[in-house]
This record gives sequence, structure tokens and C-alpha cells, in this order.
Amino acid sequence: MGKKQTMRGVFINGVLNENPVFRLVLGVCPILAATTSATNGLGMGVAATFVLLGSNIVISLLRNFIPAKVRIPAYIVVISTFVTVVQMLIQAFVPSLYDALGIFIPLIVVNCIILARAEAFAGKNSVLHSAADGLGMGLGFTLALILIGMVREIIGNGSVFGLDILGPTFQPMLIAIMAPGGFILFGLILGIVNSIVSKIAKRSAGKGVKA
Amino acid sequence: MMEFTLVNFLLFMVNCVLSNNFIFSRYLGCCPFLGVSSKVETAAGMGVAVTFVMALASLITYVVYYYILVPLSLQYLNTISFILVIAALVQFVEMFLKKTVPALYSALGIYLPLITTNCAVLGVTLLNISDQYNMLWSVLNGVFGALGFLLAIVLMAGARERLESSNIPAAFKGFPISLVIAGLMSVAFLGFTGLVK
Amino acid sequence: MNLRMSAGPHFVARESTQTLMLDVLIALIPTTAAGVYLFGLRAAWVLAVSVISAVLAEFVWQKLARKPVRVNDLSAAVTGLILGLNMPAEVPLWLPAIGSIIAILLVKQLFGGIGQNFMNPAMLARGIMLVSWPAQMTVYTLPMRVLGSTSVVPSPDAVSAATALIRPSAYNPYDLLVGNIPGTVGEVCKLAIIIGFLYMLFVGTISWHIPVTFVGSVALLSWILGSDPWMAILSGGVLFGAVFMATDYVTNPLLKVGHIIFGIGCGIIVVVIRKFGGYPEGVTFAILLMNTVTPLIDRWTKRRVYGTVKKHG
Repeated sequence: MGKKQTMRGVFINGVLNENPVFRLVLGVCPILAATTSATNGLGMGVAATFVLLGSNIVISLLRNFIPAKVRIPAYIVVISTFVTVVQMLIQAFVPSLYDALGIFIPLIVVNCIILARAEAFAGKNSVLHSAADGLGMGLGFTLALILIGMVREIIGNGSVFGLDILGPTFQPMLIAIMAPGGFILFGLILGIVNSIVSKIAKRSAGKGVKA
Repeated sequence: MMEFTLVNFLLFMVNCVLSNNFIFSRYLGCCPFLGVSSKVETAAGMGVAVTFVMALASLITYVVYYYILVPLSLQYLNTISFILVIAALVQFVEMFLKKTVPALYSALGIYLPLITTNCAVLGVTLLNISDQYNMLWSVLNGVFGALGFLLAIVLMAGARERLESSNIPAAFKGFPISLVIAGLMSVAFLGFTGLVK
Repeated sequence: MNLRMSAGPHFVARESTQTLMLDVLIALIPTTAAGVYLFGLRAAWVLAVSVISAVLAEFVWQKLARKPVRVNDLSAAVTGLILGLNMPAEVPLWLPAIGSIIAILLVKQLFGGIGQNFMNPAMLARGIMLVSWPAQMTVYTLPMRVLGSTSVVPSPDAVSAATALIRPSAYNPYDLLVGNIPGTVGEVCKLAIIIGFLYMLFVGTISWHIPVTFVGSVALLSWILGSDPWMAILSGGVLFGAVFMATDYVTNPLLKVGHIIFGIGCGIIVVVIRKFGGYPEGVTFAILLMNTVTPLIDRWTKRRVYGTVKKHG
């Protein structure tokens, strides 16, 4: 990926082609923990995007100053600083989200997506491109979390974003918002996305669309 | 704070390994759990390495928190300091393994430095603080939590070995089916709910 | 002659799977008949929905996946029937339907079809149902009719009652044996289960190792912990589970010594969950947990048999 890319191209890449949840399958733990409802998914997604954007920008700014040998610890310091900031912001302004997500907010530090993008992209590209990458990946992550969160919330609670949409006669399938349901539903959604993507790839074979 | 009795010790172990298994109940440690090779021996080796790291990390971060951060009113720096401790610890374990058990070192490959980003490791250190365990229970939390992780990872490797030659639909091979397997095993582990009141 | 099947891709001739499944169905006839007699037409509906959903689910999947349609190997029917027998008679009918679909599609077909699931489909579906809809899955009622002379008063109006497992001493051994008690459709009539067990032993569908060690461990451990061993065996789903679900050859160990470990493990877990855990009955989870451990049991016992350390690919 050394060629010149447009910012727009980088951004869309993060949302679609290299969607961190559905294509790269990085950062699985928070995916499972934060998708118990669509709102939680949105909250986690926004928090992670904030960190990703911030760390990508800062690391890209400093990329010529950080010695290669200590770059991983350096990245970790930058990322964890942003996580600490986000942690305090959420605790102050959205305490319900803070309670819902629990330790998975500080665990954004070890979210593989962020460190992976720092290493693979921000450390080698310009600030603007890194920002685009951070935004794209973050948006891709957030959209995926909202999607999975919606599915789990509808099945397990009959609601979406807290709004009851299936009525009182619906008997929610409790396991959907529990751990086993999270694993199974994520696995099923991932498999379905895979098969859709490969079908699209087969149909557009020859048009240069990468799967 | 719980006093240390044999009964409490055993109940705590059952709770960490079975009723509140780090992977099957708490979602901590999923990345290596899903990506680990399907060889039971490698999985076991990874589990042992993680146990070592989690126990030491629990101990060191406890000291850092209560003897450095709290006296200086810098508790909010716990995330940063804990992850740095863990990163350093993993480097140390890497060097140690390279010298003493090179076979395991090469078998684990990239998964060894990835222990740094294992949610379970940072997770347990943070849980120790939020659950207000004293030093002993913090370390035990690390050890037993890791044993739960080890159990899960070995079971997973066993299942994946068995399923290596199955006709799983192409779209589901790899991560999707591993996630489903984890979910199905997780259903089984629900049987341990309520085992420790 | 016991049909030993190994894990991995194995091409089973349709005829031999069918014969196997047919024998299981025959063995289930006494249990099914007793269940329908005791719990009435409602029970028959539950079983019918369960079986039909299972067969339909498999048919649709195989058609959509463009695979040969193999529903007449009867394995889906067996799964459906066993799942239905594992439910109380008064469950809303959408429950066995969803359960069968989950069992066939998620646990069996997604993993490659017959012989390739690594956990028992009916048990897993039941576990998922139990956790997802706990209230609906535990609506036990007194039977509508009774077998033989007994002091149990049948209730044609489906009066709800706790499963006999909660307080088995409230019933005398005759009632526990014959099924004049609340419980799931298939588990209550122990006599019918035993008949089925003997049939399957006779025609060689199963071997005695798992059922005997399973039931025996439950009895022994219950006795050690101070409960009546007979009550422990005769109430709840131990007999039904040990004979029809733990013996699913696809999800239990290869070797006889593995079977014994499997049976003992199941027994221990059942008693532990009953005594110390949050659920009143542990059979479902015990079998599922031993299913997950089975690949490891196989590795360990294979090593023993060959005497050398085998490196697995």
C-alpha cells in the first residue's frame, strides 16, 4: 500500500474493503461486549473512533521522530493517553454508557485495530491520510457495532436503540444478549457477510473490485 | 475483602475458571482464543505463558497502583501505567522463553508479543482494582482467570483439530465457525451458573 | 455388533445410517407412547411440530445448498423427536419449532452435516431454549392420565406443578418408575426408557458403557453426598439422557475406555449442578460439557492405547 491514495479512497477503504470488524476481524473482545444493544455499539464505536483518530494523527505527526526500536511502546503511550481522556469524558458526560461498557472502555487501549493501524498506516503516511484512515476505520467499526448491536437487541430485547419495536407479544430470546448469543450471532453475521462479499466478487470479476 | 480460607480459595477458583470463565462468560482474551493454532500442544503452551504473565502482571500492577499512583493521587494514570508494565513484562517473558524453551518460543511465534494486547491481561489488572481485591486475591485472580483461559483455549484447539476436515460452508470457514464453536461451548459452560453464590 | 464411527469425513452409506436411526426410533416408541398417553394430545402436537420442523429444516438447507437431500436417513427425524421429548407438554408450539431449526441448521448442517457436528444437536438446542426462554421451558404439569393404580391425581386441565426433581420424595417409586409425575414428555416413564435401552443393546445400536457408567455415577455420588440414590436416578432426566442423548456416537469418544470416562464425567457434573448449581437439572449441561471435552478424551486415550506419543497433524 505504498502508492499515493486519495484521502477519500483511504476513508472508504476503512469502512468497506478493510472493515476492521467484518474483513480484518480485529478487536473481537469489545465487539462482543459492546453489542448488547445498538446504543452501546454506537457509544463504543464513537469512543474508539475518537482514540483512533487522535492516535493516528499524533503518531503520524511524530513518525519521523520516534526511533524504530521503541515505536511500539511509544504508540502504546500515545494510544493510552487518548483512552484515558476518553474514559474521563465518558465518565463525566455519559455515565450510563460508562456503566454499560465497564472495563471495555479502558480496554480500548489493547484494541488490536488501533495498534495495527498505528503500525501499518500512521507510522508511514502523512497526517491527513492517517486522519482519513482513522476516521474510515473508526466509522467502519462503529457501523459494524451498530449492526450487530441492533440484531442482538432486536432478538434479545425486542427493541432498537431502546425503543420497543416488536410489541408486548414478542418473547425475547434472552440468550442473544448473553455471552453465547454474542459469539454465535457475530459468527453467523460474519459468515453471511463473507458469503455476500464473495458473491459480489464473483459477479464483478473483471471489473477490478477487490473482495 | 475476603479472608483467605480453604473454602473461599476453592470457591474463588471455581468461580474464575468455570462460572465466570474469562472467555466464555466475560469475553476477555478472544483474539488469541480465536486465532490460536489448532494444535492442542501450542494452545496449552500459549495458555501457560499467559498464566505466567497474568499472575506477574496482577502482582506488579497492584504494587504500582497502591504504592505509587494512589499516594500521588494519580489513579487516572492506571490504564497507561498498567499497559506499560504489561508490555515490559511480555518482552521479558519473550527473552526468557527464547533462552529456556526455544521450541515453544518459535511455536508461539507472533502470538507471544500479542499477549500484550490480550484483553484478558489488561482486563484482569483493571478488574483487580475495580473489585478491590487485596494483593493475594489479585494474584489469584490472575492465575485462575488465566487457567480459565487455558481451559477454553485447549478445548477450542481440540474441537478445531476435530473439525479440520469437515465440510463447513466456505463462507464460514475460519473465524465465523470458530465464533460459533465458542458460542456453543459457552452454552455448555452456562451450566456452571450459580455454582458459586 | 457395534457400529464404530470415527470423527472426520466419513461417507456413510445411506442405508446403514437409516437402519441405525430406525432402530433408535423404534427404541423411542415406548417412551413416545407413554408420553402421549400421560400428557395427552398436546404432547403429540409438540412432538409432531418438533419432528416436522427438523425434517423441513434439513430438507430446505440441503436443497438451498444444492446438496443431495438425505432426509430419509432419518437422522433429522430422530433429532426432532428427541428434542420434542425433552420439552414439557405445555410449551408454546413455536418453541419446539425454533429449537428444531436451531438444532439442525446451527449445530448440525453448518458444521458439515451428518456425523460432523461436535456437540449433540438436540441437547444444544435444548440448552439454548432453556436459557433464552426459561419461563416457557419449565411449565411442567401433572399428567392428564395415569398408568396403573396410584394416588397421584391426574389433571386434565394442565395444572402446573414443579418437576418431580425438586422433591422426589413426594412421589412413591412406582409413580417415578411409571411416569405419573410432572416432567418433560420423554423423561417421566422410566420403564419405557429401560425397554428402549434394552432394545438398542440387543440390536447393537449402543453399548452399555455410557448409560451404565452415567447412571451409576449419579447414583454413587448422590449417595455419597447424602441423597437417596434411587430417587436421584428415577427423577429428572438422567435415565433419558443417559440412554438416548449421551449415547450419540458422533459426539462421544471413540474408545470404550473413553466412554467410561465420558459416563463418569456426565454423572459427576449432573450431581454437582443439582447440588450446588443454579439449575435444578444438570443433564443437559453435563452432556454438553462432556461433548466439548470429548476431543481431548480421544487424544488422551488414543495415546494410551498405542503406547507411543502420537503427533497429531
